[in-house]
Amino acid sequence: MLKDYRNAIFVEEAKVLEHHAFEEGQFVLRVDAPKCAATAKPGQFAHIQCDLQRLMRRPLSIMRVSVDEGWVEFLYKTVGDGTELLSAKKVGELVNIMGPIGRPFELNKEKPNALLLGGGVGIPPMVCLAEQIKNEETAMSPTVFMGSEVPFPFDRKTSNLPVNGIGSDVSDSLPLLEAWGVPSRLASLQGYSGVYEGYITDLARDWLSALSDVERSQVTIYSCGPTPMLKAVAALAKEFDLPCQVSLEEYMACAVGGCAGCVVKVTTDEGESMKRVCVDGPVFDATTVFA
Amino acid sequence: MPNSILSSSFCGLNFQTPLVLLSGCVGFGNEYTRVEGFSHADIGGVCLKGTTLHARPGNPTHRVYETPSGMLNAIGLQNPGAHKVVNDILPTLDMNETQFIANVSGSTIEEYQEVTRLFDNSAIAAIEINISCPNVKEGGVTFGNDPDMSARVVEACRSVTSKPIITKLSPNQTDIGESARRCIDAGSDALSVINTLMGMAIDTKTRKPVIGNIQGGLSGPAIKPIALLKVHQVYQVAKLHNVPIIGQGGITNANDAIEFMIAGASAIGIGTGLFYNPLICKKINNDIKDYLALNNINVLSELIGSIDI
Ligand SMILES: Cc1cc2nc3c(=O)[nH]c(=O)nc-3n(C[C@H](O)[C@H](O)[C@H](O)COP(=O)(O)OP(=O)(O)OC[C@H]3O[C@@H](n4cnc5c(N)ncnc54)[C@H](O)[C@@H]3O)c2cc1C
Ligand SMILES: Cc1cc2nc3c(=O)[nH]c(=O)nc-3n(C[C@H](O)[C@H](O)[C@H](O)COP(=O)(O)O)c2cc1C
Ligand code: FES
Repeated sequence: MLKDYRNAIFVEEAKVLEHHAFEEGQFVLRVDAPKCAATAKPGQFAHIQCDLQRLMRRPLSIMRVSVDEGWVEFLYKTVGDGTELLSAKKVGELVNIMGPIGRPFELNKEKPNALLLGGGVGIPPMVCLAEQIKNEETAMSPTVFMGSEVPFPFDRKTSNLPVNGIGSDVSDSLPLLEAWGVPSRLASLQGYSGVYEGYITDLARDWLSALSDVERSQVTIYSCGPTPMLKAVAALAKEFDLPCQVSLEEYMACAVGGCAGCVVKVTTDEGESMKRVCVDGPVFDATTVFA
Repeated sequence: MPNSILSSSFCGLNFQTPLVLLSGCVGFGNEYTRVEGFSHADIGGVCLKGTTLHARPGNPTHRVYETPSGMLNAIGLQNPGAHKVVNDILPTLDMNETQFIANVSGSTIEEYQEVTRLFDNSAIAAIEINISCPNVKEGGVTFGNDPDMSARVVEACRSVTSKPIITKLSPNQTDIGESARRCIDAGSDALSVINTLMGMAIDTKTRKPVIGNIQGGLSGPAIKPIALLKVHQVYQVAKLHNVPIIGQGGITNANDAIEFMIAGASAIGIGTGLFYNPLICKKINNDIKDYLALNNINVLSELIGSIDI
């Protein structure tokens, strides 16, 4: 069975093509990694050797890929040595990346009304998913909400795409999504103008509440973000009885399923078991990981 | 065979190269084949994850954490239990690709014996007895730090298997040479030197230990000088009985590997090094070959224990 997975992860010396700094230590990194780009799916990540001073790799979600141009793009925030060292890499330098890794989001075509909720460094997989839906699944209609407690790592843009049930004062969007015709709105407790003041789950609740019963029964939630947010998202999904997939984080060593370092407790009908976030996830059905 | 100069017999096992992938770093044998360019053909043997009689869920997270030149781990022997490993997992391995070695653990001597008995009746090539796991409350290193107990565990396992037994020694003990001697007397065919050293890390923001289990096993280049000395010490005993050693602890390149061979290791274990670079084995093999050619060495065994003191 496992043999299907053979040779699915590629190790590449990837040249830095672009590296942009945003406020509060946020960076967008684009590297030349054609093998990873060729098969990467939303929800998957790459395991990156940030620097030779820190040989253990760091997992970062894939935000965008270009199969034709062979690049992969990440959005990350510096939190410690590894990401600090990565942020110093200049265009033209090499970083060793292995990817794509992990179980991606599964598009639920039976419930094509896709609600994408990304918080903080959980934004990248949501961008990736929105782009895939836009390119491949025209029968699906995605709506993206993003939350951040530091300035968003992009210039916010007033949206021309209406979002049901959301006041006109909540007008800002992510320009990339806007250009793709994917409606998006932002949430933060920081009181930025044009941004919903409150939790992303409250914004999502307003949107869900404004839907008709029939429309709501077509919704699937896809989410990535800090654990407290994911717990709240899972609770919201339960309240509205909606299917929900969440992407989790845990400290990793191998990222190929070899060390059992990155586990999470998963509860299914067969009982409890410890699953590896790297290869059994990072995407899990919310009901199996949050009670 | 492309690696013929690197091939050898290790306590009766045909190793196509001296490299052995270490227990706990490579799951149950197939995980690294996900990586393009990784091949079991580059490897002499693969030690499977530590296995106990019954399934174990393992320790709370976090279980792994990078530290200067190394890492801490406290997995807590998460495994599905020996019956599942023998019945469900071993049949998925292609035993022709390399030598697969079981890694046996337990809380009691009887458990070690029972797990060994189950593996004896399987396609596994050899059995490594882990009396040095620092991450479980009972058994493991509490056996390994007591030469008497170590010998009793080995004896009990010896009595139920005819497969080669490799005993994995702990560095967390005062006289590793004495422990090696007792394990050899008890019937061990080979020795693994060393398992991880105990360590910890604290998050200064929360003042909590980073590792869920509070303490963990330290591996990687940080422990290499210690591991090398332990191999040197164990070799003084092991060479008298022709018992080969799998040297391990922080090996990440051919120079490290050659150091361990000069100190007395016949085979070279790679664990943490794979996390750094999953394709490390091919490179180490090639670089060892270059070293052999440069130094006019025709058989690997010329190198082993060749330290000039
Ligand atoms: C599947 C997955 C996808 C991720 N995607 C992104 C992303 O797109 N953007 C982003 O900014 N961050 C992402 N993260 C988190 C990112 O991996 C960590 O912020 C990073 O590893 C921190 O490394 P550091 O050396 O800077 O921090 P330190 O705190 O110094 O790290 C020390 C050790 O802890 C580990 N660690 C610390 N925090 C985390 C964490 N949250 N998750 C996993 N390991 C951690 C590190 O890998 C390292 O081994 C993701 C994590 C996972 C598991
Ligand atoms: C994540 C991890 C899990 C491990 N699990 C086991 C185990 O189950 N049984 C065992 O005998 N050794 C285990 N070890 C120890 C290794 O097999 C090896 O002896 C040690 O890590 C030193 O080698 P290295 O520095 O090359 O990693 C583990 C090590 C790591 C890093
Ligand atoms: S990081 Fe090793 S199993 Fe997931």
